[in-house]
Amino acid sequence: MAKQLRFDYEDKSYTLEYTRKTVTEMERNGFIANDITEKPMTVLPALFAGAFLAHHRFVKKDKIDDIFLHMTNKEDLIGKLAEMYNEPITALVEEPEESEGNVSWTASW
Amino acid sequence: MVSGSSSEVEGDETQNGSHPLFTYTEVFNKHFPFYLSIGMTYEDFWERDCCLVKAYREAYEMSKARRNEEMWLQGLYIYDAIIRVSPILHAFAKGGTKPTPYMEKPYDITEKAVEKTKRDKEVEQFKKNKRMVESFAVQHNIKMKGGNKDA
Repeated sequence: MAKQLRFDYEDKSYTLEYTRKTVTEMERNGFIANDITEKPMTVLPALFAGAFLAHHRFVKKDKIDDIFLHMTNKEDLIGKLAEMYNEPITALVEEPEESEGNVSWTASW
Repeated sequence: MVSGSSSEVEGDETQNGSHPLFTYTEVFNKHFPFYLSIGMTYEDFWERDCCLVKAYREAYEMSKARRNEEMWLQGLYIYDAIIRVSPILHAFAKGGTKPTPYMEKPYDITEKAVEKTKRDKEVEQFKKNKRMVESFAVQHNIKMKGGNKDA
């Protein structure tokens, strides 16, 4: 099952998740995956907002910003959101679990 | 841009910040036709649980293995049929030669079928033994009656 982030805010339950469609939408709106590692705290608000698209598309930006403001432990949050954001692509390119027959390689640089 | 720089190849514009070699969207679009070909719907791929692809990949491997087994079994039936017909296939077969009849029932390939065949054989053997014993008993009784009469 895909990774999800769940919380309650003002008596409403929220489920944050990324689908391939929402990741594509975020990229179309200028989001760059590399920025998560290079400027994590800068992109955190956009990453957080993007996670609403899958299940809470019509929640207003003001509300999302308000929720973000009240989120605790933002350093852990960026890590979790980054994992979730990468899941749609890692699920596609994941290597088989069995190691038999697989080739290990090392680079010279 | 400095001539000879590999910024286009590496996708790295060092002055403006680095950009990835590819976008996630490009990777998704590259894999999408494969998943369509193995039966995944548009909604499943783009809008549903992103880990569904793992299950679809595993299911695809299973169906390939199953199909391979079915083809092998079909080959076995064809081979069996050719062997059964082979007595009449060569030019100098004697007159009156007949092919071995085709199998009356398919091979037992499931555990259930193997168990059933084994049980049927046991029941058949039991009935045969019972008939032998009954026949022996009848003959023995006849002899005994014949012996008493003489006495």
